[in-house]
Amino acid sequence: MHGIDWVDVGLSVLKIAIVLGAMLNVTPIMVWVERRGSALIQDRPGPNRVGPFGLFQSFADAFKFILKEDMLPAKANKILYTIAPMFGLIPALTTIAVVPWGRPFTLPGGRLFEPIIANVNIGILLIFALASMGVYGIVMAGWASANKYSLFGGIRASAQMISYELSLTLAAVSVLLAAGSLSLTDVVWRQTGSFVLFNVIKLPAWNIFSPAMWMAFIVFFVSGFAETNRMPFDFAEADAELVAGYHTEYSSMKFALFFMSEYMAMATMSALVTTLFLGGWDIPWYTEPATWVGFALSVLSFVTKVSIILFIFVWVRWTIPRLKYDLLMKLGWKVFLPMAVVNIVIVALFIARGWL
Amino acid sequence: MITFAVFFFFAAIAVIFAATVVLHRNPVVGALSLVASFFALAVMYVLLEAPFLAALQVIVYAGAIMVLFLFVIMLLNLQHQEEPRTRPVQQFLGYTSSAAFGLALIYYLAKFGVTQLPDGPFVSDARTVGIRMFEAYIFPFEMVSILLLAAIVGALLLSARTGATGVAPLSAGTTTENLAAPHDAAPRIEVAP
Repeated sequence: MHGIDWVDVGLSVLKIAIVLGAMLNVTPIMVWVERRGSALIQDRPGPNRVGPFGLFQSFADAFKFILKEDMLPAKANKILYTIAPMFGLIPALTTIAVVPWGRPFTLPGGRLFEPIIANVNIGILLIFALASMGVYGIVMAGWASANKYSLFGGIRASAQMISYELSLTLAAVSVLLAAGSLSLTDVVWRQTGSFVLFNVIKLPAWNIFSPAMWMAFIVFFVSGFAETNRMPFDFAEADAELVAGYHTEYSSMKFALFFMSEYMAMATMSALVTTLFLGGWDIPWYTEPATWVGFALSVLSFVTKVSIILFIFVWVRWTIPRLKYDLLMKLGWKVFLPMAVVNIVIVALFIARGWL
Repeated sequence: MITFAVFFFFAAIAVIFAATVVLHRNPVVGALSLVASFFALAVMYVLLEAPFLAALQVIVYAGAIMVLFLFVIMLLNLQHQEEPRTRPVQQFLGYTSSAAFGLALIYYLAKFGVTQLPDGPFVSDARTVGIRMFEAYIFPFEMVSILLLAAIVGALLLSARTGATGVAPLSAGTTTENLAAPHDAAPRIEVAP
């Protein structure tokens, strides 16, 4: 090895530090948003004792988790029981690496700063590969706990994941077809600028506004709820039926890891929805300059979009009740899968006619 | 140098977990070990400059197929049962035949020197794989599709046998549904008017 580019290494470490810091802070912030948001929706005060507006409630929760006793069920499979929470966390933390979170700009030294940890040409496939590993954390936890509620949670999670991952991936295929690339950087660059509808309305060229892809957006977004085990589809947890589902037996930091991975998976899914359909870091009706100002504005735009999607996650959780299991399966296989496949054909037609 | 280290690390993982799949008597642990083995195999693809194939290996095998396997195993084996040790003759035959196959594999690999990669840059992005698949290998591709279609039709035929025999469909979805909500699975009592 000769001539390691230390500036490059430093920039990479900086990028990893920024993204990792943001991801780790998502959980306490989102827990607060979730608790205050649910209180707002249900017309009650919510946590308001610790700090202003109860902002420090999450820290109190974290301390409680650390100080709690770590229980191990007598009949549990000890190895699998211990590594299951880690298996849940790793995919949630790593998938964000291929998502671009700002406009590239030139540093004073003439070097191009690309705000993405790993700009690999199979970007989206890497996300799906790692995200599909996430379910093993749940299945492992459910099975290793030696508890029938946990086991049912694990079984349900695997069944649900098989059903919804397919439509999720196929919905993303539409976007990739239109972009002609698997790299998320290309997907975002294709959505910059704007297009004019009926010579009157000027819309940003985001995929959600494209007549060929709004259906894929619906499929992807709803399947994203299922993929992250959020409320209308939280069958692995289903606290009304299964106590706490796959993490019934977990306590202390092991439980906290599941909790963290749920919110991180949510954040990653929001970032993915933003990147694939909402133009990523693109600011509507505005061309960002290729300087650090444009970079800062684009990062702000990206974070705003992700925050809105995250809030929708919370909003939906406290608004829409859990589906029945057969309805969940019907929706996945008989509605979303055909919709996603039809949408691929539509996008292919649009590309063949040169409309995209 | 670092490639060698990575290769041997993941090769060891692949072999150890593959052995666990065969030797461990708990089917769930076996299935999880197979996932680990598949994952290590995907790293081999990355080392062979085929990241696209590696991603597909993880998505399709480790991600989709093994989740289905685990689902079925957990559904059929709810009581944490371990396989009873039976049939020593078959077991002996199984071990010897696989050992013989392994030895034959090593022998022929050494004999024909298939330990060196061919020269040249390898291109294995989505575009190249797609073009090859739909031009050079279109016939095998279509044959595989028909094979899968036949399997789907067969599964449908097996699972949708209701009415004539009065047996409830034994599809995976129905079973979980019954497990999830026992009150729904109870036989409906027809109330006479």
